[in-house]
Parts: sequence; C-alpha cells; structure tokens
Amino acid sequence: MGRKKKKMSKPWCWYCNREFEDEKILIQHQKAKHFKCHICHKKLYTGPGLSIHCMQVHKETIDKVPNSLPNRTNIEIEIYGMEGIPAADLREHERQRLGSVSGTISGSDDEDEPASKRVKPEGLLGNAPGVMSGMPGVMQGMIPPPGMPPGLPMGPMMSMGPMGPQFMHPGMPMMPPHMAMMQGQGGPAKPLFPSAIPCSSPGASIVGADFKPISSAATISAPPTTNTPSSSDGAKVNTIATTGATSKIIHPAEDISLEEIKSRQPKYAKTIPTKSDETASSSSTTASDMEHVYMQNYLANAVSAAQQAAVQQAKQAEAINHAAMMQRFPVRVSGPPITMALPGGPVMAPMRHTMIPGPPTLIGGHLMRPPPISMPPGMIGVPPGMVYGAHMFPAAPVLTPMMQPRFR
Amino acid sequence: MFNQSTIGGFGNATTPSTANPMKDFEVTQPPDDSISSLAFSPATLSQNFLIAGSWDNNVRCWEIEQSGKSVPKSMQACGGPVLDVCWSDDGTKVFMAGCDKQAKAWDLASNQVVQVAQHDAPIKTCHWIKASNYSCLMTGSWDKTLKFWDTRTPNPMLSINLPERCYCADVDYPMAVVGTAGRQIIVYQLDGKPQQYKVLDSPLKYQHRCVAIFRDKKKTPTGYALGSVEGRVAIQYVNPTNPKDNFTFKCHRSNGAPTGYQDIYAVNDIAFHPVHGTLATVGSDGSFSFWDKDARTKLKSSELMEQPITRCAFNSNGQIFAYAVSYDWSKGHEYYNSSKKNYIFLRSCYDELKPRTSS
Repeated sequence: MGRKKKKMSKPWCWYCNREFEDEKILIQHQKAKHFKCHICHKKLYTGPGLSIHCMQVHKETIDKVPNSLPNRTNIEIEIYGMEGIPAADLREHERQRLGSVSGTISGSDDEDEPASKRVKPEGLLGNAPGVMSGMPGVMQGMIPPPGMPPGLPMGPMMSMGPMGPQFMHPGMPMMPPHMAMMQGQGGPAKPLFPSAIPCSSPGASIVGADFKPISSAATISAPPTTNTPSSSDGAKVNTIATTGATSKIIHPAEDISLEEIKSRQPKYAKTIPTKSDETASSSSTTASDMEHVYMQNYLANAVSAAQQAAVQQAKQAEAINHAAMMQRFPVRVSGPPITMALPGGPVMAPMRHTMIPGPPTLIGGHLMRPPPISMPPGMIGVPPGMVYGAHMFPAAPVLTPMMQPRFR
Repeated sequence: MFNQSTIGGFGNATTPSTANPMKDFEVTQPPDDSISSLAFSPATLSQNFLIAGSWDNNVRCWEIEQSGKSVPKSMQACGGPVLDVCWSDDGTKVFMAGCDKQAKAWDLASNQVVQVAQHDAPIKTCHWIKASNYSCLMTGSWDKTLKFWDTRTPNPMLSINLPERCYCADVDYPMAVVGTAGRQIIVYQLDGKPQQYKVLDSPLKYQHRCVAIFRDKKKTPTGYALGSVEGRVAIQYVNPTNPKDNFTFKCHRSNGAPTGYQDIYAVNDIAFHPVHGTLATVGSDGSFSFWDKDARTKLKSSELMEQPITRCAFNSNGQIFAYAVSYDWSKGHEYYNSSKKNYIFLRSCYDELKPRTSS
C-alpha cells in the first residue's frame, strides 16, 4: 500500500501543471480556475462545456482555456480532474516529476503555479508601457529597471511629481525636498492628483519652476519622444489602413476626424468663410482701427475703459497680464505655453464686432464688472424671442430629488 | 411609466418601425441635419431639458416630460455647424461651439446669446468647469489649443497648447481629459488652476473619437473610456493600481460571418451612467450598447438603426438615455442623404444599466 502511494503521483491539473492533494480539490480548482465563464461566472465542468456555454448563452467564442499554460490552452480536449489527460502528457509529467524529486517536490510546485503571480510586482514598475510612457524620456529615466539597486539618486525629473506613489520604486525617497515643502503648505494629498496641492499657495516664484514641466511646455517639448509624427496642417498624408484581411473599418481613408472631413463640404464650409474672412481682415487692421470698431459698438464708458486698457497694454502689457492672471489664479505660471491674450488685443476686436449686440460686457479684463443683465433665476418674465412660443424657462434651482418613481 | 406602450404610442405612429427599432420615444421636431451634440440639463433644474446641436447651425432645446413627451422650447442659431454643446452648472445657460470658431453662451432666461470664446479654427469641444475657486468654459479646438474662458471677459483666462488638434474631451472636476489627433491623450487637473497632469500614449491604434471620464466607488473621477474609429474602447485608469486594470474591448462591429468579412465601425460617443457607473457606447453601425466595465460584460446591445448614432447622453438622474440617429460621414459624402430624417430617441434606461453582479 504505502509503496504504491509513493509511486503514484499526486493529482495534477493539466491546464496549469499544479499538483493537488486530492482529485476532489483538483476538480474544484479546475471548475474555479479554468472552467468558469468570465461573463456570468457560472462554473462548467469541462473545457468544451465552457466553450458551448459561452457560445450558446453569450454568443461568444472562447478559444483558450482561461488561466492555462501557453501550450495547454486547448479548449476542445475534454478533461475532468485527471480524466482525459493525453497519455503523452501524463507520461511526460511523471517523468518530470521523478526528475525533480531529486530536488524538492515543493520546489517544482512553486515553480509551476505562482509564476504568474511573481511577475506582478515587476509589472507595476517596469511592465506598464501604457502607463509609463506617458512622459516618455522623463519617466523612463526615472524608473530604475527592476534589477537595479533601490534608492538610486533621482534625477531632477523627480520634481515632476505628478505620478502616483505607486510608480515610485520602493526604495526611493518619497519626495524631493522642495516638493515636500509644497506639500506642507497645501493640505492633504488627493488620491487622484497628488500634485495638485501647490495651487493654493500664492508664492508664484516657488512653484513656477516646478510647474514648468507640467504646464504645456512639456507638451511642446514632448512630441519628439512620441512616435506619431504630428501631421503638419498643410499635408495630411496620414491614412488609416481601413481594409484588413478579414475586416474593413468603415471610415474614410484619411486619418482626420469625420467632422473635419464633413466641415470641408461646400454645404458646410460656405457658412464658415464668411466669418473667418471677416475675422481675418479685421485682425489685420491696426490697433487704432480696432479701437474704432469698439467705439462704434459699445457704450462710451466701456470704450474709454477699453482705450485705457489698450494704452496700458502697449506700455505695460506684461504687468497687466500678470495682474489679470494673479487675480484669477493665485499662481502665475511662467513659461511660454500659457498665452494670455492681451486686453483689447487683436483676438478680441473682431470678435467683439461680430457679437450679438448686448449690454456692455467686460472690457479691459477684470477691471470692471457690468451689472447683471439677465434677471436672476427664479424671477423670470416671458423671455423675448422664444421660438416655439414657450412661456418661460424654468431656472429655479431646485435640489429636491428627481421624481424617480413616476419616471419608471 | 416612461417606457409603457400606452404612452409609447406617442410619436411612433408616423415613424416607420425600421427607423425606431427599439420603440423608444421620439423627440419632436428634430434637427434638420446631423446631430453633433446632445446634453441634458444638470440636476439643479427640477425638469429635464435636452439640448442638441446640429450641422444645420442650430441649437434646439426641448423639455422632456415624465411621460416621455418632448416639448420644443426654443432654438438659437450659430454662425456655422455646431460641434458641441454643454450646460452651466446652475442650468441657466447653455454653451455652444462649432465651426464658426466661436463659443457662445445662451442665457435661457433672457434668451440672449453672447459670444464667450474665440479660436483660430473650429471649436470641437466645450465643457463647463465648476471649481471651488473659479468657473469657466473649456474649449478645445482644431487650432491645437485648449482655452479656458471666464465668460465675462473677451480674453481667455488660460490657453494651453495641445500637441495636435483636439478631437474629444471630457470634464469631471477636478479632472479633464483631451484626446487629440495623432492618438494622444492628455490628462489635466483642474483644481486651483488647470494644469497638465499627464501625457499618455494611446492604448488604441486608431484615431481617437470620443472620451468620457468615469468615477470610482467614492464618486471621484479616476479614469476614462476612450473610443476610436476602429470599433474599440479602452478603459484607462489615470493611476492604475494594477496594470491589468486597463483594458480595451471591441464593439460596434458587424458579425459578418458568412462572408468572413467584418465591418468595423467608429465608436461615436461614450457616456457613463450617473448612478450605476456603467456605460453606453454608440457607433457608426447605428447601434448602442450598454456595458459594465467592472464586470467586463455587455449588458445590452440594441438593434441597428437606419443611420449611425452620432451622440448619446444620460439625464442627470440616469433615468433617460438619449441617442441621436443621423449621418456621421463615416462613408463619405456619397452616402449622405439629406432627405433622410434625423432622430433623437429617448429610452427609459435605469434598470437596463444596472450592473448584474450587484443583485
């Protein structure tokens, strides 16, 4: 008896090479690991059973047994516990097992099963291309390859900051000194955007340098590292390979959005040039002309404010710019990417011209604020020009729960 | 109530059954041309209002009653085809942006329209941002900029350069995501001040077409779903705890088994259910599908419409799913038939989008 038991190998799973004490447990394992429907979690009894289930119930084809070794994915072989295992594989397993007995049995066990699990921590650090390559060149320099000793000095790039702590190598210092400082001022770190803290501090000079890589300067400098050649506006030669061997993508071959293609149609394009022509012509006019446009369209007091702003702008645009920025955002980010259109600048004049006439809105930035033109919500009369003759637009902010029961 | 046939007879009598295979409520007086954008009023309004922007240059507004009836309320014209619309957080204003390179604010109470944004090229996206210390309109344009507008000043509060033309964007404070031409994805953080947070390589191999932010169990924005023209959606976490959290799935493809040839259609829009966190995709194939990204299962797929579905939206409490059936140009101008009617359908969807595992 005892001799026979020794000779007999433990039951093992053909799909993942794992050994079990008992065939019952093996069957449980197979049902849970290999024969479970990924859609409804129903546990089937065999590979073909799973395949048929998925086909009939979910209309999906399963071509591989889940969680199986690469060479044991065959879904058509009917295996239940130890039954149905191809004889050749049985013999091979026996041979390997005997061979490894000279070593340790548990060793072989370890090797087979948890291999995939062991990979995972590496994956967090090194195997996540979709995540890591977000800031190519920068990130890659940062994350030491798995084999490297931890605690290497971080490059200056660590000041980028905005990646979650899970991206840091365990041995890394959690934060470079200046980041820690910012954090100290800020408040509790938020789960999603750990680097969002410095915004609340008005100390623009501190964060300016730090923000730089985060601001769009990084975007501009990034393209060299991205593999997609940004198509220049003139020649859009990029195409989509719409036709494959067995499929066809229903999309024009040009790799631009449907809306861009559609908007080129004469039917739609004709409405666009009228505006753009106007914009183009007026934007080429001089500054004084633009002020002229202003004067024609706006109340005198507004104009004077605009003129003032324009004059100021000529002399100390930068200062105003700064002030305007400071007013709206506590932090001023220095760097080229953030282009503040200047008050009364060329962008604005043509735009004003084409606007629907209305009460004077803000001219010259934040300096003055017009009285509210529309009545406050909740006390509205009949609005003019309602097309369909509706009476009013309800605007009373009601925060009561929606009428769910009735709706259903 | 919403989906019962007693009331369901409304509007369907004149509609051929092929045009409305799902027997949903049809919105009356739909736009005259393709529908580019749909948006339901925020929860701050007690009623449901639906706005739709169209290639006929107009933005229309309907009140959607509990019975499923839609009452046309008002309409505003823009200087060119409208590409996107959105609501202000208080529901008093509607913003509309499009090919006239402008974005306008439509004050619904006074019915006045004021220009609030200007770009050098058509504006593809507009989103209202309500932060603790500021509120503004974010516009993304084919002029490769993303601009932020305090709607009272003619100058942008901030302009951020994009690596490419903006194709799609979504905002769920404090997160914004922009998908551009050249298959790039940029995530922004909006608290304090909009800043770039991450540039990501696309998990998809084809042109980005739509993006929608989703939240985690604690209702904080945590990732996004990105749709491409190659019938595929990527679920991406901004900071995945496990690389396997990110995945892609195929959708909006024909089952053209007999010929052995499969037609793959663009994913035109993605919307997340505000309560369940499940999602809907609509495609050029003319179908919509409901999905559970956590269970990685399909909850429902619709019959095919006569034309592509261009956009979709959930109302604020997740009872109504609106989808717009109109031509999206995916087969070029040859297939454009201006005599074909455009439809917006409303579907009672609350139960259909419930995740199955929760029961």
